Amino acid sequence: MVFNSLTFLIFILLFFPLYFGTKGRMRTWVCLVASYIFYGWWDWRFLSLIVFSTVMDWWFGLWISYNDAPEETRERCENGSLVLQFFGRLTRWVHGLQLQRRTILVFSMAMNLGFLGFFKYFGFFADNLAAMIREMGITPSWTTLHIILPVGISFYTFQSMSYTIDVYRRELPWEPSLLKFATFIALFPQLVAGPIVRAADFLYQMSEDKRFDWNRWNSGMGRVLWGFFKKIAIADSIAPFVDQCFAAPETFGSMHLLIGVVFYSFQIYCDFSGYSDIAIGLARMMGYTFPENFRTPYFSKSFSEFWTRWHISLSSWLRDYLYIPLGGNRNGKLSTYKNNMLTMLLGGLWHGANWAFVFWGFLHGMYLVLQRIVGPRWRSLARSIRLPRLADDAVSIFTVYVLTLVAWVFFRSGSIGLAGGDSFATAGKVLSGIASLEGFSFSAVINKFQVIKGFLLIGALLFVEISNTRMRWNVRQVEQPALRLILFSVLLWVLAFFGSFGANAFIYFQF
Amino acid sequence: MKHIWWYVLLLAVVVAGDRLAGCALKSQVSASAFRYSRLYGGVAEADILLLGNSRGLTFYQPYIEEKTGLKTFNLSYNGLPMDVAKALTLDYLDHYPAPKRLLIDITTCDRTNDELLAGFLTYSDQSFRLDTLIRGRLPRVWRGGQVSALFRFNNEIFQRALSHRRRSDADWLLDRSIPPQLAASVAQHNYPLEVHPYLIEQLRDVCAAAGAKGVDVRLVISPYFPGFAERVSHLDDLKKAVEAATGLPVSDYSRALSDPADFGDFMHPNKKGSQAYIDLMRKDAVLP
Repeated sequence: MVFNSLTFLIFILLFFPLYFGTKGRMRTWVCLVASYIFYGWWDWRFLSLIVFSTVMDWWFGLWISYNDAPEETRERCENGSLVLQFFGRLTRWVHGLQLQRRTILVFSMAMNLGFLGFFKYFGFFADNLAAMIREMGITPSWTTLHIILPVGISFYTFQSMSYTIDVYRRELPWEPSLLKFATFIALFPQLVAGPIVRAADFLYQMSEDKRFDWNRWNSGMGRVLWGFFKKIAIADSIAPFVDQCFAAPETFGSMHLLIGVVFYSFQIYCDFSGYSDIAIGLARMMGYTFPENFRTPYFSKSFSEFWTRWHISLSSWLRDYLYIPLGGNRNGKLSTYKNNMLTMLLGGLWHGANWAFVFWGFLHGMYLVLQRIVGPRWRSLARSIRLPRLADDAVSIFTVYVLTLVAWVFFRSGSIGLAGGDSFATAGKVLSGIASLEGFSFSAVINKFQVIKGFLLIGALLFVEISNTRMRWNVRQVEQPALRLILFSVLLWVLAFFGSFGANAFIYFQF
Repeated sequence: MKHIWWYVLLLAVVVAGDRLAGCALKSQVSASAFRYSRLYGGVAEADILLLGNSRGLTFYQPYIEEKTGLKTFNLSYNGLPMDVAKALTLDYLDHYPAPKRLLIDITTCDRTNDELLAGFLTYSDQSFRLDTLIRGRLPRVWRGGQVSALFRFNNEIFQRALSHRRRSDADWLLDRSIPPQLAASVAQHNYPLEVHPYLIEQLRDVCAAAGAKGVDVRLVISPYFPGFAERVSHLDDLKKAVEAATGLPVSDYSRALSDPADFGDFMHPNKKGSQAYIDLMRKDAVLP
């Protein structure tokens, strides 16, 4: 089920009365069942995977906690529900194996990464291995399995892993209620494309019933509308132009391709941040707070800043659970560079089983490393020539954006690779087509109407985002009823006039 | 309670604003010099009616009018499928005296195009045929048009109508030359043309309706880039199927132009190519 569909509208119209009409455990059950229906609508068979993964991670958390405080945990299990009593007995039995906490964590990680590896990367590694063997002159006899990628597996796996790791680090107490934990993992607004909500940020919010609050409802509704504007009016409107560019780059001139790449940078931003806005808005309407996932990333003045503004929940996850455990920037320059590269390479691989995604991660890793080397020199040069602050900022923002565009070309081509095409050849054609400067005029652009509409909408988006950051008003949290009335009306008119209502799936569903 | 009233007010404002904006946009469309605005505005009377998809735009009106001294009107549009073309042509025949000649590029029978059909929502309140077609094929889009007046203008057709508000579209043509790099790669490209019985039936109906009004109907296949006609699958099958269905001969110009400089891309002659093509049609008496 996708947010921009009639099915979801019906779903949500049924969900909210049920949600606010129930309390306590019943409400949690409503959330869980609704979330499983939401997920199962895509493919009910993969519900078993999410249920299994949830139960196992919850139990690993219990097991780790049992190692820490056997008596206390056993007492809580014995006094708890039937499920808790069952898992309590199971844990008491396996506790006899005297496994270290670290070993239990390794089991948990192996299970989670095993699922992720099997469903997402098995075909990729098998194909690459087969190619390597063929290079040696041997024809492999195995048949590659065509495994369907369960929607959202990368998101809920990371969410689940963060819980076990936090329990292991003693930063989070073990959650006694499997129902709550399962609802946290599966909660439908964020289930398939984030933000990656951490247990420490969410489980405590479930400890009390959220009352219906008009202010939260209105503010959430505004955020949902804003998300739909980004997704339906911008991302889906410019998507056909981008698809055309990457499907046959050799048929277009330089300007057409450049616009295609710029459009893609906004398509992916609006698609993904639009999803996050809708998720955050829905959660707010329910009474919950989800972490922010984007903060005007294309206004970043450096790549380290970019990664604090783009897909914040993933970058902070990678920082806390990968970059810092690897040593972060504590062990000298070379180690920092290595950790940056490794984190970004894995971040690239997380997005998809294709070398183009890995290369995208590599480029961002390189940008981070180069920034550490070149950045201080640029700053001292800017100071010595007394470059005005505004010009300095403009140069930085422009440089970061252009280099991000180059990386996006590989990222977009990665999707072509996932569909069986040659991602690097496509990226090469796009970049060389732009660099050739053949047909570098607006008259050579095909589909000028789409281009004008696209730039008009992107202009509106940037105006609102700049207003949000530079001025004292915030379109997403307008309190005055009259102003809110105008803003909601304008958003609805814009959706009707510019929206693309093909119920296109969100790009990040494939990750 | 005040919050509920606020939402009632929001609904009222949204609906009222939507209807008002819809009226304003409709008046802009009606005042436009765009071909379909002229068609439904009663100012499209012509001696030669031209019909096709983007390849039908090759029927370069200023040149035809200069050479024949006759008035032309072109119903062609990028990706126009024959079912929509039928609705437009029959609407034309209903509203205007029968033209002397109707020239149709049969590759308009290639494929249906729901996205473009949805775009004709802008004119569907002026055409029962378009309205019925959209309602039958795209019921959700049709309902969207009923719910929101603004949604009726959420398409490229409206944008074109707006851009031709004060400017004729009679000289709409691909006015560029194919990039040499692309031209050299012709053997690597294919076009999977579809033979669509439903669309051929629509063409047969158009020919029959025009014939009944005494219109001289001519069917053609416009030129492809040299060497590309061979890359278009089922072109001969389409020609045979159309001839069998309509009982009319198809003049095949698919390989008629041999100069690469006559083309904007593989599928479309440019202004120079279009003029050469029109000269050929005049020589063969396909055009008067």
